[in-house]
Amino acid sequence: MLTSGTATDTLDFQAVFDALPSPHMLLDRELCYVALNAAYEAVTMRRRDELLGRNLFEMFPNEGEGGRRLRQSLELVLETGDTDTLAYIPYDIPRPAELGGGMDKRYWTAVHTPIFGSDGQVSHIMQNTVDVTEMVNIRQAASLPFRSGETQLLERAREAEQQHRALLAESTDFRRLFQLAPGFIAVFSGEDHLCTFANDACLRLLGDRNLVGRTVLEVVPESGEQGFVALMDKVYRTGEPFHGEEMRFVLQPLNGGEPKEMFLDFSYDAIRDHDGAITGVFVQGMDRTQAVKTQKRQQLLLAELNHRVKNTLAAVQSIVSQTLRSAKGQDQARMDIEARLAALSKAHNVLSLQEWTSADLREVIRQELSVHDRGRVSISGPSLGLTPKASIAVAMLIHELATNAVKYGSLSTEEGRIDLEWSRTKNGQLTLKWRETGGPTVREPDRKGFGTRLIEGIVRGELRGVYEPDYAADGFSCTVVLDENELTDDNE
Amino acid sequence: MNHVSSNRDGPHAGLSVLVVEDETLVAINLESILEDLGHTVIGPVMRLDELETMVDGGVEADLAILDINLAGAEVFPQAERLSGAGMPIVFTTGYGAKGLTGNWSEFPVIQKPYTADDIAEYLSRLKASEPVSVGS
Repeated sequence: MLTSGTATDTLDFQAVFDALPSPHMLLDRELCYVALNAAYEAVTMRRRDELLGRNLFEMFPNEGEGGRRLRQSLELVLETGDTDTLAYIPYDIPRPAELGGGMDKRYWTAVHTPIFGSDGQVSHIMQNTVDVTEMVNIRQAASLPFRSGETQLLERAREAEQQHRALLAESTDFRRLFQLAPGFIAVFSGEDHLCTFANDACLRLLGDRNLVGRTVLEVVPESGEQGFVALMDKVYRTGEPFHGEEMRFVLQPLNGGEPKEMFLDFSYDAIRDHDGAITGVFVQGMDRTQAVKTQKRQQLLLAELNHRVKNTLAAVQSIVSQTLRSAKGQDQARMDIEARLAALSKAHNVLSLQEWTSADLREVIRQELSVHDRGRVSISGPSLGLTPKASIAVAMLIHELATNAVKYGSLSTEEGRIDLEWSRTKNGQLTLKWRETGGPTVREPDRKGFGTRLIEGIVRGELRGVYEPDYAADGFSCTVVLDENELTDDNE
Repeated sequence: MNHVSSNRDGPHAGLSVLVVEDETLVAINLESILEDLGHTVIGPVMRLDELETMVDGGVEADLAILDINLAGAEVFPQAERLSGAGMPIVFTTGYGAKGLTGNWSEFPVIQKPYTADDIAEYLSRLKASEPVSVGS
């Protein structure tokens, strides 16, 4: 708190500002005049009541190079909060009508200083400008050997300004290229890895977490837990670059969603200053998550394919060896093997129609019975989806029932027939009824053949269903009940 | 329930073999192979919950031949209980030796499709062992 008797109590800053010999003015964020001093009035040939509250570029429009650079400088101050100097800027101003009108060719230097509000943001810009037109005119008028010290100074200022702008433009171009690069790029400074640059791809990778101005541990704590910061530490300490391929990184989304697994190719390289001392770490890389996931899926598919092929070969092997040991004679064995392999193959056909997710029961049955006389086989029941395993099992079941019918049952005579009906019961189970009529007199076999073992194994063991054979004298029939679990819902 | 006394005549014949295999065709073939070699088959067990019930009930066998994958689930939890009680185990799989990881990688694997000779060779390598009882 200020106490009475100090100079500030009595000093009128407005008066001090007004009395400054060098032109000063104050702009708000909209670049409108808030204050200006007498020197500024003089140099611009405008009274303060003309300027206050008005926009700078409205009062002094300039579509050329000068206008562009002045605007750029002011915007830079607003954006960065840093002072910006224009060492040399051509900027013509309109001459008031009472002074003859037209444009006055002027050259200036200007310093733009930010003034901060209580919220820490730039609230105003103070401009201190000096009209250097006369010096420029002297230089232009003078021949080379007689250059005055002032014009040399001005010339150097002009050169320095041009060089500074060129470098800035170049670095802005590079920055823009890095910003838009498809790979992620970030620059970290110091041993705590304070981020000074992160491009758009980097933001996308991190789910829009803004790294710039903060340390990597602050913004991406999971990178510390997963050892990535330790790797950066090492690069910073030793200067040896690190290159990682398909490195797994798990990002925990800020909104508490599912952790996001990603795979990254990236490198850490040490950044050195002119003396070779390490000042930071340069990070660049590519998000390879999609490629890695595709590759993993392919490996899984290949393993699954291999598994299926091996299992199918095991099934084929069983068909061959079991048929050979039970068949009567080589010709019969050959025919039986071929028919069983064909049955297996047809089931695979039906399954592959639905990409091995499900098969239609009706289609499976139709396929397996297609080799038999249509006039003597009737099927009736709804379309129902079967799981892949149940599809193969039901195909083999129908095939074995039909084979038995041809060998010993109703299809072994001229007139016999088969009626197959199925339906879903109220509790979701599937009931199939197989009924043979018109065949020879039936009696229960005293030895179970491979076909019967297969039927019993499939229904009772594999599908844990019910198999009830009925060896009635006038024709074989059976009921098969399968659990709801063996059905899928996509064929309802 | 499910107590099957094993034949103790010798190590290479008359063994009681617990067979776990979810494909009927393959199970029937393995059953035939084992019976041809003079062994007794317990099972074939075709579902994991059925196997679980058998282990709970105390299943007695000289060894177990286990298919790794039963209708999409793996047999390892039950295999662990059987192995923990000292029952020799051999796995069968279409995935190859890669189907076994961690503690199981030391266990023997017979790749599908296998022949009667493959089974016989494994059984002949198996040392004579006392029947073990698992569970209660």
